[in-house]
Amino acid sequence: MAQHPGAARRHHSLRLGRKAYPYLSILPVLIVVALFAIYPIIHAVRMSFYKYLLTRPNDHPFVGLGNFIEVITSYYFKNSIQVTAIYTVAAVVGVVIYGLGVALLLNTSIKLAGPLKIVILLPWALPAVVSGLLWKWILNADFGILNGLLYALGLIDSYIPFLADPTLAKLSLIMAFIWKEGPLVAIFFLAGLQLIPDEYYEAAKIDGGSAWTIFRHVKVPLLRAVFLIVIVYETMTAILTFDTIYVLTGGGPADSTALISWFAYAEIFKGLNLGHGIALAIIIAAVTLVLILVYLRALKPEEATS
Amino acid sequence: MNQRIGRRIESVSLNLLALILIIFIVGPLVWVAVASIQGENELLRHPPRIIPHDPTLDNYDYVFTGKIPTAYEVKGQLRSRISQEARLIPAALKNSFIVATSVMIVNLVIGSIAAYTFAWQRFRGRTFLLNFILGSRLLPVMAVAIPYYVIIQTLGLLDTYISLILIYLALTLPFSIWFLSSYFSGIPKDFEDAAHIDGCNTFQALTRVVIPIALPGLVAAAAFAFMASYNEFLFARFLTQSIDSQTGPVIISSIAGNPDASYSLISVAITLGLIPPLILAIVLRRWLTEGLSTSITLR
Repeated sequence: MAQHPGAARRHHSLRLGRKAYPYLSILPVLIVVALFAIYPIIHAVRMSFYKYLLTRPNDHPFVGLGNFIEVITSYYFKNSIQVTAIYTVAAVVGVVIYGLGVALLLNTSIKLAGPLKIVILLPWALPAVVSGLLWKWILNADFGILNGLLYALGLIDSYIPFLADPTLAKLSLIMAFIWKEGPLVAIFFLAGLQLIPDEYYEAAKIDGGSAWTIFRHVKVPLLRAVFLIVIVYETMTAILTFDTIYVLTGGGPADSTALISWFAYAEIFKGLNLGHGIALAIIIAAVTLVLILVYLRALKPEEATS
Repeated sequence: MNQRIGRRIESVSLNLLALILIIFIVGPLVWVAVASIQGENELLRHPPRIIPHDPTLDNYDYVFTGKIPTAYEVKGQLRSRISQEARLIPAALKNSFIVATSVMIVNLVIGSIAAYTFAWQRFRGRTFLLNFILGSRLLPVMAVAIPYYVIIQTLGLLDTYISLILIYLALTLPFSIWFLSSYFSGIPKDFEDAAHIDGCNTFQALTRVVIPIALPGLVAAAAFAFMASYNEFLFARFLTQSIDSQTGPVIISSIAGNPDASYSLISVAITLGLIPPLILAIVLRRWLTEGLSTSITLR
């Protein structure tokens, strides 16, 4: 007799527990993410409508869209948009080609695929600050090993100031990006390649497909989802490149490597103009979001039929 | 016959390409390690020597014990180029390690529990909450840097490990949730059902059945969280004020930013900073590829 109510209660609490479990299980993550998302975003958006100068901490009048208008009409905006666009396109295209190439190579049975697999992840594991410094030191105009090697091989007559020339500095930055980000892209593509069932290749070979047609008509379409992940992720990473620029070029020479995100940093931490910096950051976020939506549309995987 | 020659040429050229890639990837790391065992006078030759004639551990000795390298005394005037800050490197790397390990553990525990729920449970608000967590990373860090500072200051956590751990959790959890929930949904549901039939509740099914199967994915997620925290620079730079909490990237960039810095000591700093992530990358390589191939799908 006495067991019945107890069993019913246990049953009841079990059902309640089952209903509450999903929410309880994600609660710790939600708290941490919300703490560093909701308030900061509201705070940031609010600040973008006020004149916020750290030099005058107690005086911040409402200026509406004033900050946005001021940054868009600033001396650096047009140039930095151009620099950001060139850099992002070159860096993303470069890193995708490099990563895909490395993955295709790793997926073969050549002798050096093994050693390459062991070292491929190394650059990815380093702090961007450190990889930036590595390249700065290698590209150094007076003592750099790259200049030393080119000179010793007789390829150049005098040392090249890689980081003092606007075009070479951009190229150096893109190369440092590819070196650092390429490994992750390669591993993503490799994981995707390994998921393609062998029958697909065999079918294509029986149909008389060359290596190129197999690549173009079997591998690339099947890797569409991987392309999407990689392009979205690397676009966001490239647009927001900061650490590498900070140590490698400092945005120079003559702002030739200063992305918009660099000016967001400069406005906040050097100009102490928080309103300007945050307005720029919001513009970057909006552009990134639009780009992601465009990618999602363009690369949307076909439904079950494919 | 012709075909065999063709295949031979293909194999040789692919191996050559792989060799060039290996040199491109490893070259910079080897060079900085070589530079760290050269004296300043040898390093600043024109052109520099790839194989040092006079290798020395003096630079490391200076970082760990404070003994001035003899190469500096030879030239006398170079004494000023010694960067005092280089001596902070071991402590900074220790800070990095503590912060990154804490983030990794907490991230893995609360992240895998939440990811499992997102992968298998159906509940009201699931899509919204998942999108909220993933979308929280869209705003550039510059925009939230100042609000983050305000939060950390309000909590009284400036210049502490906890401030960095909290922020890195917020930065790394969305990725872990995405990665692990797609990883978990790749595991056949039968395993979980079997656990339920054996009388496990959802949490027990996770800890006793799913986690052992999902080990490669968990290791990969842990590695991502560790690396991201170990390598983060912007927040570490402006939320830390002293060597009590300053991390490796902060100290390394500060040493290198000093116009008077010694190149061999910068190389030592970089080399020491390289060691932990490189060990991790080599050890976890297999797990990472395996983890990724389960969590991505071709559709």
